[in-house]
Amino acid sequence: MPAASAPPPDFDPAAAYPEMGRLRAALTAPDWPEVRALVAAAPGPVARTMLTQYAATVPGAELFLPDVLARDADDAVAAAVLGGRLITMGWAVRSSAPAAYVSQEQFRTFRDFLVRAERVLIDATARHPADPALWSQRLLSARGLGFGLAEVRRRYDRLAEHDPHHLPAQGHLLQSLCPKWGGTWQQMHAFAHECMLAAPPGAPNAVLVVTGHLERWLADDAHLASPEVRTEIYEAAARSVWDPGFGNDHGWAGVRNTFAMAFSLLGDHRAAAGQFTELGRCASEHPWHFLGDPAEVFVTRRAQAYAKAGL
Amino acid sequence: MIRYTEVDGVPTLIAPTPGPLRAGLMFRVGRADETLPRAGITHLLAHLALAPPGRAGCHDDGTTSPVRTSFHSQGPDQDVAAFLTGVCAALRDLPTRRLETEKEILRTEYGSRPAHPAGSLALWRHGARDHGLAAYPEWGLSMITADDLRAWAARYFTRDNAVLWIGGRDVPAGLTLDLPGGERRPVPAASSALPVTPAYFSDGAHAVALDAVVRRRTAAAVFTGVLERELFRGLRQEGDYASAAAADYEPRGDGYAVITASADALPEKQDAMLGGFVDILAALRVGRIRPADVDAVVAERTHALTDAEGSAARLPSVAFSVLTGEPRPSAEELTAELGQVTIADVHEVAVEALDAALLMVPDGRHADWAGFTEAPTGSGEAMTGRTHRCLDGVDVQLVAGPEGVGLIGAHQRESVRFAECVALLAWPDGRRLLIGADAVSVTVEPTLYAGAAAIPSAIDAAVPAHLRIEMPAREPWAIPRPDPKRHRGTAGPRAGSRLRVWKDAGVTRLALLLALSAAVTALLLPNAVADSGNWVVALVALVVSGVLARALIRRIRLVRRLLQ
Repeated sequence: MPAASAPPPDFDPAAAYPEMGRLRAALTAPDWPEVRALVAAAPGPVARTMLTQYAATVPGAELFLPDVLARDADDAVAAAVLGGRLITMGWAVRSSAPAAYVSQEQFRTFRDFLVRAERVLIDATARHPADPALWSQRLLSARGLGFGLAEVRRRYDRLAEHDPHHLPAQGHLLQSLCPKWGGTWQQMHAFAHECMLAAPPGAPNAVLVVTGHLERWLADDAHLASPEVRTEIYEAAARSVWDPGFGNDHGWAGVRNTFAMAFSLLGDHRAAAGQFTELGRCASEHPWHFLGDPAEVFVTRRAQAYAKAGL
Repeated sequence: MIRYTEVDGVPTLIAPTPGPLRAGLMFRVGRADETLPRAGITHLLAHLALAPPGRAGCHDDGTTSPVRTSFHSQGPDQDVAAFLTGVCAALRDLPTRRLETEKEILRTEYGSRPAHPAGSLALWRHGARDHGLAAYPEWGLSMITADDLRAWAARYFTRDNAVLWIGGRDVPAGLTLDLPGGERRPVPAASSALPVTPAYFSDGAHAVALDAVVRRRTAAAVFTGVLERELFRGLRQEGDYASAAAADYEPRGDGYAVITASADALPEKQDAMLGGFVDILAALRVGRIRPADVDAVVAERTHALTDAEGSAARLPSVAFSVLTGEPRPSAEELTAELGQVTIADVHEVAVEALDAALLMVPDGRHADWAGFTEAPTGSGEAMTGRTHRCLDGVDVQLVAGPEGVGLIGAHQRESVRFAECVALLAWPDGRRLLIGADAVSVTVEPTLYAGAAAIPSAIDAAVPAHLRIEMPAREPWAIPRPDPKRHRGTAGPRAGSRLRVWKDAGVTRLALLLALSAAVTALLLPNAVADSGNWVVALVALVVSGVLARALIRRIRLVRRLLQ
C-alpha cells in the first residue's frame, strides 16, 4: 500500500475486533445480559480474556457489577470484569511511574483496589478454575500486590493446565519475569522462547520473544544491535506473522504492531512495511508508547518504512 | 464392641485387642485449666506421679494436652496393673522429695521441644488464658510448691474426674485405683482474643497454618479428611509448593472440635504455598468438593471402625467423651453416620470452619487480600501516665500510669492494664514482663528508659502477688545498657539526624538562595518601570527564583520520601 493512501491509525480495539464496540455500548448502557452474551460468544479462550480485559477499561462497570455478583455469585464474566476494573482503577492511581515516584498514599489506595479485586477473583476462580479470563486478571493482581514469582508462576500454571498457549497470560507472566518486577532477563527470555517453541506454527505466541527484547531494549539501547537478538526476532516472525497459518484471531493486531515496531527499530523497513500493510488502520498503543505518543510514532514509523522500502 | 464397667469407682471401658494388654487412666485436666503463673503444674504433677521412672522394657508414659492428662501402659497384665496402681498411689501421696529434680527435667524437656504452629494459633485465638495457655512456656514451675500440687491433685485427680480404658480381655488382676472422691470438672470455657473472624496473623514462622472451631460432628471429621487430601494434592502433587501438608480434627470436649491444617515450604516458595492454601480453602468454601474425596475419607474412617483394632483404637477418644459427657455413638452408629454424610454436609462444615478460621501466614506476608482480617497485634488504647524516653536511640516511649504500663512507638502500641494482667515476670535486676489476658505483653527494662528506676516497684505494688513469677537472675552482660548510637542506622533517623539529612540534601542552601533571589525581585520590581536596568535584573532574579523554587520543591519531596 503506497504511503500516501495509508489510512490514519485507529487505536480503538474495535477497529480490529468489531465486537469490542458492541461490548462497550452494552457496558455503557448498561445491558449486562448483552455483555455476558457477547463474552460467552467469544470464539476462544484468548478472545474471552481479551474481551473481559477490554471491558475492564470501560468506566462505570464497577458501580453495578457488585450487584450483579450478589444476585448470581456464579457469574464468571461479572467477576472477571469487576476484578479487572478494580485492578485497572488501582493501577490508574498508582500510575506506571517507578516505585520511587509513587507516594505512600497512592500505594495504599492502589493496594486497597487490588485487595478488593483479589477477593472477587479468589471466589470466582474457586468456582470456575478453568476460566483463563479470571486467572489472567489474577496474574495482574499478584504483580501489583508484590507476590513473589513462585505465586505468579503458580497462578499461570493453574491457567496453563486449561489453555497452554494463552497469550494474554503469557504476556503478564513475561512482565513479572522482567527485572523491574523481581525476575531476571534470563528467566524472561527463556520463558518467551519456551512459549514460542511450544505453540503450533503460525500461532501468535512467538511475539513474546520480540516483546522480551523490546523490554530489554528499553533498559539498554544497544540491545537490538546484537546479531543474536536480530536472528531471534526473525525466527519469531517466521514462526508467527510470516507463517501462512497466522490468522486474524484475537490478538493479531497487537502481535503485528509489535513486529512492525521491532522491524522498524532494526532498520528493516521492508519487513516493517509488510506489517503496516497487514495492519491497515488497526493500531495498538503497545508497544508504540515505548517511543512516545503512539499516534505520532505509528504514523512517522509507517511513513519511514514505506518510503525506505520504496513503496 | 466396647464394654462399660467400673474399677474402684472409676468408669472403665474395655475392648478386645489382638495385641498385648494396654490401658490408660485419663483425667479431665490439662494446660487449659491452669493459670499462667502456675503454668506447668499439671505436667509437673504427671511427672511426679510417674516417678520412680518406668521399669526397663515397659511402655509406660504420661501425657498432658490442653484438656486431658493420661497415664498409659502396655505389657503383661501384672505390669500394667502395677503401673496404674502405683500412679494412683503417687497421686494420693505425692513423692514431693523429687519436686526440684522433676522441675529441672521439665525445663530441659521444654528447651528441646520444637515450636509447633498449633501453639501460636491457640495463643492468637484465645489469649494468655484457658485454651491459649498451651502456647506459653511452663513459667510457673519455679513458683509451684508441694501444697500447690496437693491442692491441684485434690481438685482434678479424683475418681470422679477420671476414666480408665483397657485394650484387652478384662481388668488386669491386682489393679487398684485408690483415688479420692471429688467432682467432674467440665472443660473450661474458651476465651476469644479475636474481635473478627476469619482473621490472620504472622509471627515469623515459615509456615502456613489454620485452625477453626466447629460444632463437633461426623461431617466435620470428614471435612478435615477432605481438606487434607486437597492440601496434599494442591500443594504437594500439583506443583510441589510445600514440603509437607496435613490436617487434623480434635474434639475439644465442649461440643466443639478444633480443625487444624498446616503446610511448610522452602523460603522461595512461601508465596506460592500461601496462595495455593488460600485457593484450596476458597474452593471448599464455595462448595467445590470432589465426591471421590468424600467417598475416600468415609471409606477410610469406616474401615478404621471395622478392622480388628477398631474398638480398641477408639478407646482413648471414647474415654474422653465419657469424661466430658459428650455423646459416644457405637461403632455401628458411627459407620451409619459416616455413610450418610453428603457433599452438602461437608460444604456446610467448610463454610462454618472458614467463617471462624484463624490463619497463620509466613513471615512478612498478609492475608487481607484473601478476605482475612489482621488479628490485633497490640492494644487499641494507649495507656495514660508518665512517659519515659528510651535511652537506646530507639523511637519508643515507656508509659507508666496508675492503671498500667505501655510502650508507644512509631510502629507499636502495646499496653497491659494492671486489672487485666494475668502474669508478671520479675527479674532481680528490675526487668518486668507483664502479660495481659489478650496475650499482649509489655517488657520494662528500667535501665533503658529515662527516670524509670522506680517503675519496677510501682508495678510490683500494683499487680497482685499471686500473678508474680520470680525469674532467675540474668548474667550481668545480659542486662541492657543504653547506647544512644546503637540504633541510629536501623531504627530510622532521629530528630537530630533528620535535620542533618535536610542539610546534606542542600535544602537549607537552596532555601537561602531562593530567599535571596526573591528579595532581589521584590526590591527591584516596583522600580522596574523607572529604570530599564532594574528591569533586566528583576526579570533575571524572577526566573532564577522560579528555577530555585522548583528545585527546592523537588528536593523536599525527595528528602521526605527518604525519611518516611
